[in-house]
Amino acid sequence: MVAYGDRQAPRFESEAESLRAALSRAEGAAAAAYRDTARLIRLLTVIGTPSSPGRLIDRTLTVLSEVFAADVVCIAEAIDDRLFVTATSGLPEDDPAFTTGWALGPTARRVINSGSAAARHGVPAEDLPPPLQDERGTSAAWIPLSGVGSEFAGDLLVLYRRGGDLFTPADLQVLLSMAYRMYSAVEARERGAAIERLAQAGPGLARHLDVGSLLEDAVLLLRELTGTDSTWILSVRDDLAEVAAAADVGEDTGKRWPIPAGELPGWPRLAAGEAYVGPGGANGDDPMLLVPVMRDGGVIAVLAAKGRRARSFGKSAVEVAQVLAAYLSVAISNGELYRRLKAREQELHRRASRDPLTGLANRMTAAQRIDETLASTPTGVVGLLFFDLDKFKAVNDRLGHEAGDELIQQVAQRLRKVVRPGDMLARFGGDEFVLLINGASDLTDLNDMGRRIQAALADEFPLRGERVEVTASIGAVLGRRGTATASAMLRDADAAMYAAKARGTGRLEVFDDEASHRSIDRLDLRSDLSEALEHGQLSVVYQPMVELKTNTIRSFEALARWRHPERGNVPPDEFIPLAEETGAIVAIGAWVLDQACRQLATWQREFPEAHLTMSVNISAVQLERGHGDLLDVIRSAGVDPADIWLEVTEHMDTAEDISTQVSALRDAGVHFALDDFGMSYSSLAYLQRFPVEGLKIDRAFVAAMNDDADNGRGIVRAITAVADSLSMKAFAEGIETQAQLDGLLDLGCGYGQGHLLSPPLTVERSTAALRAQRDRG
Amino acid sequence: MGVRALSSNSAISGVGTGNGTDSRLAAETAIEEAFRPLAGREPDLVLVYASVRYDLETVLKAVTAAAGPSAVVAGATTSGQLEGGRLIEPGDGIAVLALAGGGYRFGLGHATGLQADATRAGRALARAALGAAGPVRSPHEAVLLFSDGLAGDQQELLNGIHKVTGFQIPVVGGAAADDRRLAETFVFAGDRVLRDAAVAVWIGSDRPLRVAGGHGWQPTSLPLMLSGVEGQIVKELGGRPAREVFWENFRPRGGVDTKLYKKAGGYHSEHAFGLIQPDGSLLIRGAFIDSDGNLRTFSPMPPYSAVQVVSCEPDDLLEIGEEVVERVARGGEQEPSVVLVFDCVARLDILGERGHEEARRLQRAAHGAPTFGYYTYGEFARTTGVAGYHNATIAALAL
Repeated sequence: MVAYGDRQAPRFESEAESLRAALSRAEGAAAAAYRDTARLIRLLTVIGTPSSPGRLIDRTLTVLSEVFAADVVCIAEAIDDRLFVTATSGLPEDDPAFTTGWALGPTARRVINSGSAAARHGVPAEDLPPPLQDERGTSAAWIPLSGVGSEFAGDLLVLYRRGGDLFTPADLQVLLSMAYRMYSAVEARERGAAIERLAQAGPGLARHLDVGSLLEDAVLLLRELTGTDSTWILSVRDDLAEVAAAADVGEDTGKRWPIPAGELPGWPRLAAGEAYVGPGGANGDDPMLLVPVMRDGGVIAVLAAKGRRARSFGKSAVEVAQVLAAYLSVAISNGELYRRLKAREQELHRRASRDPLTGLANRMTAAQRIDETLASTPTGVVGLLFFDLDKFKAVNDRLGHEAGDELIQQVAQRLRKVVRPGDMLARFGGDEFVLLINGASDLTDLNDMGRRIQAALADEFPLRGERVEVTASIGAVLGRRGTATASAMLRDADAAMYAAKARGTGRLEVFDDEASHRSIDRLDLRSDLSEALEHGQLSVVYQPMVELKTNTIRSFEALARWRHPERGNVPPDEFIPLAEETGAIVAIGAWVLDQACRQLATWQREFPEAHLTMSVNISAVQLERGHGDLLDVIRSAGVDPADIWLEVTEHMDTAEDISTQVSALRDAGVHFALDDFGMSYSSLAYLQRFPVEGLKIDRAFVAAMNDDADNGRGIVRAITAVADSLSMKAFAEGIETQAQLDGLLDLGCGYGQGHLLSPPLTVERSTAALRAQRDRG
Repeated sequence: MGVRALSSNSAISGVGTGNGTDSRLAAETAIEEAFRPLAGREPDLVLVYASVRYDLETVLKAVTAAAGPSAVVAGATTSGQLEGGRLIEPGDGIAVLALAGGGYRFGLGHATGLQADATRAGRALARAALGAAGPVRSPHEAVLLFSDGLAGDQQELLNGIHKVTGFQIPVVGGAAADDRRLAETFVFAGDRVLRDAAVAVWIGSDRPLRVAGGHGWQPTSLPLMLSGVEGQIVKELGGRPAREVFWENFRPRGGVDTKLYKKAGGYHSEHAFGLIQPDGSLLIRGAFIDSDGNLRTFSPMPPYSAVQVVSCEPDDLLEIGEEVVERVARGGEQEPSVVLVFDCVARLDILGERGHEEARRLQRAAHGAPTFGYYTYGEFARTTGVAGYHNATIAALAL
C-alpha cells in the first residue's frame, strides 16, 4: 500500500498541482470579472449619488483613478492648440495645466476631430503632458466628452497610467459609457442647479421696482447661470438696442451704442421670440448667446452672453436664459404695474385723508395726527382748537350752498396763514375746523392762537358781490401727552365750543372741568333722551298767550318738559338742541304737536267762546320729507289747521327743500310765526322766503326796553312796525314786569306772554285759568 | 537604539525610548537618548510616539523644549512601538526620533474636522504643510501623515491630500492608536495634542524618497461584492448578510477550535477584507464584529467594491515586513539614516509572541539604519493612483 501509495503520490501531487493552478486561474478570472463589474457599479453609484456638479466630477475622477489605477485622470478642453484642464485627480492643484494648459498632442487632436476614443501604450513624448514627460511605458486613454457634430466639441477625459497595462478596448468601452453618463449627469445637475438658482433668485427680481436695479441684478445672475465671463442686457426701444446693464471683465462690447436692433446677431430669430446661439459678429469669433425678453409680442430687451467655453451655450444654458428672460419680462411688467398702483394708492390716500373742498386734512386724518402727536413724545401738552363759523348757516341759506362752499374755501385759505409749521389745520365737516397746536405749552398759547384766528377772519369776505362778516366760536383744550386721546380732546374742545357759542359770537372758551362735566352730561343726556318719550318722562305744559289790551287768553304755546328720573327737570334749551342733534326731535316734536292739538280740541269744546289757538314749536327736520305729515297729526286730533301756529326759528337750515310741506301746511290754513325775531341779521330776508304771519319779539329785546329806554324800545318798535307793514301779528316774549307790559302797550304790541302774565301751566291749571276767565267774563 | 553618522550630506539621527509611569521622566529619558547622537546639533525633525497612558501635553512640552524652535515636531499615540529592533509592547512607552541634516526640508501642517469632511481636511492639511515647507520646491517630495485613527474616512483624507500633492508625491504614515482600547487616539503637531485631526510633515529632498507597503495576506474566499454598506458597517456581501458570509470564509488555523473568533486585543484580527485593485492586488481593510453584532470596518468601504475575505500566516507577515523595509532601505543611492515603519497592530495581534521576532527582523532588513515605528490603526502608503489607505499592512519610508 505504501509502495502503491508512494508510486501514486507524484501523480496525485501533480494532479493536485494542476487542480490548484486551475483553481487559481479560475479565482483570478472571477476576481477580474468581479473587479470589472465592481468598477462599473462603483462608477454608476458615484454618478447616481446626489451632489453638486463640481463634486460629481470630482468623485467620478477619483473613482476612475482608483478603479483604473490611473495616476492622472483629468477633464480638459481644447482651445486652439492648448488643452486646459478643468478637473483632475492626480495633478496638484497648482499645476499650470489649469491656467496655461498643455500643448494639444496629436492623439488628443485626433480624438477630438474623430469623436472616437483612443488608447496607447508607451505613449510618445508629444502625447505626454509635462508632469509625465520623464515617465517611460506610460499608458493613456483619451475619451471624447462631447458628441461629434455638436456645435462646439472639444472636451476630453484623459487617463494616464505609469507602467502597468494598456487600456483595453473593454476599458475604453467602459470609459466612454461612463464619460457619457457623467457628462449627462453633470449637464443635468448644472441645469438643475441653474434652475434652482433661478427659482431662488427669480422671485427676488420681482422686488425691484426700479428697472435699472432690476437689470443690474439680472445681468449678474445671467453671468452666473451661463457660466460665462461677459453678459449684457440690452434694452430695445423704438427699434434701437442700447446696453442697459453689463457684467463683464473689463471687456468692451466693441460697439457704439445704441445700434439699430436689426443689426444684432440673429435679430430675425430674436424678433420671433427665439434664442440665438452663434457667432457674435462684430464681437469677434467668440460664440454669443442672445435671448429676447418679450412683452406683448415685441422684444423689449435682449439678454446677451459671450462665451469662451463653447459648452456654456448648450441646450441647458439656452433654456435657463429663456426662463430668466421670462422672469424679467414679468418683473419689468410688475415694476410698471406696481409704480402705477402706488401712484393710484397715493392719490386715493390723499383723497381719503384730505378734505376735497379745502385740501385740508379731513376728520380721519386729524384724529390720526392728534393721536400721533400725543404719542410722539412722552411728556408735555398738545393744544387743540375746535371752532365753527358763526352764522354760516345763514350765509348758506341766503346765498346758496355754492356760496357757502366758496366761503369755506376762503376761510381755509386765511386760516392756513395762521398755522405754524408742526401745527395741523383740518376741516371736520360743514363749517367746523380743528387746529392742532403742537407747540402749545399752556392756555395762553391757546388764547393767542384763538385771537389770531379771529384776526384772520376779521376782514370781510367778498362773496357773490356782497361782503360777508365771519366770526368763529372757538373751543380750546390742552391735552396731556401720554394720557389724552384724540377722541377725548375733540369731545372736550367741541363742548367748549358750544359753551363759547352760548356766550355769543366770536368767543373762545377754554375747556375746563365744568365744561368737562357738561360735556359728559351732554353725552349721558343724549342717550337718556332717546328713551325719554318711551319711558313717559316727557310732558307738555302750556303758556298762555294773552291779548295785552284785554288781558284775555287767546292762545297757548305748547312747551315740552322733560323730567329726568335722576336729574329732575331738564331745561328745554338744554335738551331740545340735543334732540335736534340726535334726530329724536322728530318723534318728540310729533308727539308734542299731537298732545297740543288734542288739548286744543278739548279746550275748544269746553270754551268755544274763547276762540283759542295753539302755538307749537317745530324744528326744521320735522318739515323735511319722510318725517310724516304734520297736517295728518293736526287733522287727526280734530282741530282746524287754521287754529294752529307753528313757530319756526331763524336758524332753521336744512339740507332739503322744505317748501313743499310748508306750502301744503299754509294752504291748509296753518299759520307760521317766526320765533326769536331780530336775533339774526338775516331776519328780513327770511321773511321773504317763509310764509310767516307772526313775529315773536325775543325776550332779550323786551328785557332791554327797561335797561336802555331808547335802544330796546326802538328795536321793539321797529319789529312791531315791520309786523304791521307786512300785516303780521307781533307777539312779545318774556314779559316779566309791569313796565315792560306798559311799554309794549304803548308801542301797540297786540299779544304777549311771560311770567308777569302767566308761567307755563299744566293742563289742569290751564283749564282752571280758562274757567276763571270765562267766569270773570 | 541606533546611531548613524554618515557622510557630510547625510542626516544624523538618533532614537530613544522611555517608559514607566512618570510622563515627564519617560519623555526626558527618550529625548535624552534620541538627541545624544546629534551631539548638540539642533534637530530638524523630531517624531514622538507615545502610549495614550501618558500625559501627552507634558510629553510634548518636554519634546518641543528640547527640540528647539526650528525643529518640526510631529507624532501620534500608538499601540506599541518599534525602535532599533526592539518591540515596546502596547500600554507603555514613549519613543522619540531626532533627525538633523541630510538636506531635508520639513514643513508641518495640521487640520481638524476629519469627521465632518475628511477631503476638505486633507486638502487644508496638505496646503498648510506645503506652505510651511517654504516657497522653494524640492526635486523630490513626500508627505508623512499621522491621523486620528478613529475619526472619519481615511481614504477621503488621502483624496484631499492628493488634490494638493498630485500623483508624483507619495504619502506615507499611520493612523494613531490607543493601546487597542479603540476609545480615543491623538496626533501631535508641535506641542499640540489633537483629536479628530491629522498632522502632515511635508518632506523635501534632493534625493528620491522611497515609500513602500505590503501586507502578506491571502484570500480565503472567492471574490465578493460589497452589496450593502452603511458607513463603517458592512451589511451585505454578495446580496447576503455580511457577517454570515464573512464567517463562512474563515480559514481554520490550528484546528477547528480556533476557527471562530479568537479575540486578540478586543477584536478578531485574523480575517479581514481585501479590496481587489485594478492590477489584481488587494488593499487590506480590517474588519471586526462590534458589540452590537455588526461587521464593522475601521474606515468606510467603498460601496459595490469587489472584495475577498483574507487571512494570513505569521510567517507571511514576517516575510513581507522584511521585504518592505528592505525595499526602502536598499533602494537608494545612499544609506538611509533611519527607516520609518508604520506597522498595523492587527499584525502584532496575529504574530503574538513573535512580535519581538518581527522587530528584530525588520531591524535586520534595514541594513544598519535604525528602524523607528509604531503599531497603528491604519497605514498610509500611496504611490500609484489615489488609493493608499490600508489596514493590516506595513508601510515604510527611509530618510
